[in-house]
Amino acid sequence: MKGLLVKDIRLMKNMKNSIIMIILIAVGMGSYLKDVSFIITYMALIGATFTSSTLSYDEFDNGYAFLLSLPVTRKGYVMEKYILGLILCGGGWLIGTIISVAAGVIKNTSPLGESLMIAVTLFPFALLLLSVILPFHMKFGGEKGRVIMVAAMGLIFLVTVIGAKVVEKIHIDLNAVFRNLPEPDMGVAAVSALAVGTVLLLLSCTISMRIMNKKEF
Amino acid sequence: MLRIENLRKNYKSFSLDCTMEVRPGCVTGLIGQNGAGKSTTFKAALGLIRPDGGNIRIMGRDIGEFGVGDRQKLGVVLSDSGFSGYLTVADTVPILSNLYKDFDKPFFLEQIKKGGLPENKKIKEFSTGMKAKLKIITAISHNAGLLILDEPTAGLDVVARDELLDLLREFMEKDENRAILISSHISGDLESLCDDVYMIHEGKIILHEDTDVLLSDYAVLKMDERQYDMLDKQYILRSRKESFGYSCLTNQRQYYQDNYPKLAVIKGTIDEVITMMIRGAVL
Repeated sequence: MKGLLVKDIRLMKNMKNSIIMIILIAVGMGSYLKDVSFIITYMALIGATFTSSTLSYDEFDNGYAFLLSLPVTRKGYVMEKYILGLILCGGGWLIGTIISVAAGVIKNTSPLGESLMIAVTLFPFALLLLSVILPFHMKFGGEKGRVIMVAAMGLIFLVTVIGAKVVEKIHIDLNAVFRNLPEPDMGVAAVSALAVGTVLLLLSCTISMRIMNKKEF
Repeated sequence: MLRIENLRKNYKSFSLDCTMEVRPGCVTGLIGQNGAGKSTTFKAALGLIRPDGGNIRIMGRDIGEFGVGDRQKLGVVLSDSGFSGYLTVADTVPILSNLYKDFDKPFFLEQIKKGGLPENKKIKEFSTGMKAKLKIITAISHNAGLLILDEPTAGLDVVARDELLDLLREFMEKDENRAILISSHISGDLESLCDDVYMIHEGKIILHEDTDVLLSDYAVLKMDERQYDMLDKQYILRSRKESFGYSCLTNQRQYYQDNYPKLAVIKGTIDEVITMMIRGAVL
């Protein structure tokens, strides 16, 4: 598995100019935007996208066949992608956090504690991104996977909108429901979100393993 | 070393039904036309596709139970797959070091140097010959017991092919228990390298023979219709109608040379044999 990680990190050398550019854009956004939490999400998303692009490299020229004839099991291959995903998403999140915290402190728009709490709350979002992107890519391949994922997101959005309309029609005031909920403790919320994100990631990893086990190369 | 028994794989327009064996110390060739089933057999042997039936055992272990440790002992070349073209040879060194516990880095680098492969150029910029060399060097650099090589010499010129075959001979000389399964549609490669050859056609093994026997005992007999009518056909494997009369494939060349001295006898080559086996008729 370590060999595969080395391969992916070596492949990412090809993206070093894009990485530098992305970090510069994030710094630029940090100095310009008011809501710096966006940078954390943006950088985590970039990490997930880079993980996905290493799958594209493997897919290209039927590379899977060769990789899976090396001392690598399909399960090991999938696990490596999730570990790489955690490293890249986590790395993206960390860089995003550093930029947003620094921007918040320097511009005096957001105190350190608050920025850090936002960052911690957003980390599960990084896990969620990985959990969705990787199985889609493994199942459908790069190009098709992206289209199907966007379509699935669109469907979720549509269902949510229709759901909200239905709730409105039957005269349930959702805002009132939310207002009446007890104020959540931020710490508990963050830990709960992290737990949910971890469970989702493990579930996603299991699904990806099943997808890879069924594939023929 | 490798035993494939009644391997079956069905696609819409193609069915594979294959039984073959690679013994320790032997180089076994698999020859056949494009689409005959060579790559499907290789992929099944490597666990890359799921067979519909049959057994595949490598070094005594079922391919379904083949783990990371078992794969350490395999060296693989696939005709249509390899390291990403975006990597360089220098990139592959730490990858292989981390994948194979017996990776022989000095040997690998020496062969890379001998083969004139640039270490820092992206593999996608390599010529066909350079890519093929890198694949073979990769396969032989970690003390593998069995090499599974699918068309390793495809697209190479004569000199490059000869160099690669020399590498494989050296590989075999180092340990008498090593074995190679190699496919090629260039029969000359197999004639000079293989101990035995399997011929595959439309998914079925149509002939298995030791290369020595094939080259010494097989022959194509050419004759007119009158000679054909009088011929003892008990050792004729295939016959084919030609403009001049008949061509017949036999595996008893000496018998026909002794008893029918007027027949034109062309000694067997893999090309002749496979052409007759595929296009000739069974008597």
